[in-house]
Amino acid sequence: MNLFGMMETSGTAMEAERMRAEVVAANMANAETTRTADGGPYRRQEVVFAANQGDPNFLDSMTAAGGAASGFAALPIPALAGGSAVAPGVHISAVVEDPSPPLKRYDPGHPDAGPDGYVSYPDINPLTEMVDLMGATRAYGLNGAAVQAEKGMITSALEIAKS
Amino acid sequence: MSMEIATELSDQIARYLDLAAAEAKLTAVNMANVDTPGYRAVGMDFEAEMRGAINDAEQGRAPRKVRVTEVDGLVARPDGNNVSIDRESLNLAEAQLKFRTGVALLRQEYQRVMDAIHADK
Repeated sequence: MNLFGMMETSGTAMEAERMRAEVVAANMANAETTRTADGGPYRRQEVVFAANQGDPNFLDSMTAAGGAASGFAALPIPALAGGSAVAPGVHISAVVEDPSPPLKRYDPGHPDAGPDGYVSYPDINPLTEMVDLMGATRAYGLNGAAVQAEKGMITSALEIAKS
Repeated sequence: MSMEIATELSDQIARYLDLAAAEAKLTAVNMANVDTPGYRAVGMDFEAEMRGAINDAEQGRAPRKVRVTEVDGLVARPDGNNVSIDRESLNLAEAQLKFRTGVALLRQEYQRVMDAIHADK
């Protein structure tokens, strides 16, 4: 059992939550963008979180209740059941585009207006984005607090050596 | 009676520290996955593990692995995730306090041995 592994776990979460906040910021920044490299208006992006496959050192000290003799296949979550060398935690498995159709606004003078005079704008709702941003901030803070706690534990472990 | 540097009590405290660290680690994993769709919170039974560890030490068995289970009685969100921030925060604080308690006890135990070494002064 490695105390630093805990900080790594919380670190993966802080990284993922920061990425989520960045995507939200990009969405809000591009709320009025009608032109992109792929053509058409900007499309709202969304992150997908997935639990990490566990690290073998962590697994060495843990076992699933009633687990199969073969190992960790019976563990309830993939984060503890896998065999890769990643810290158990979270990662962003994909950034997906919102498939909802763009909003149409009548503005015939706009350079990106269609033949009917309507311009396609991204379907971005500031409320949804702000709620998402709040969630990311809160989760970031939560994992930051966990890092603080883990730092405290490591510091206190060092006290054993002091006389 | 022979005096040993590593006493039975210090071995037990060491196991106690291991378990407190395992509890903190599980909490950290749960906290990291607070926004992962479909994730189920995991936990361990600290008291049962500690009882088992003391039992194993008395019987001269090697320490066992920690049993990890899914936590019962949590309310899942619509995305299937059932991590409760309040529960995890409390668990982390508890694991941290347990760890500090273990460190304090271990220091005291080693201090006792130190006192015995310096008893002639």
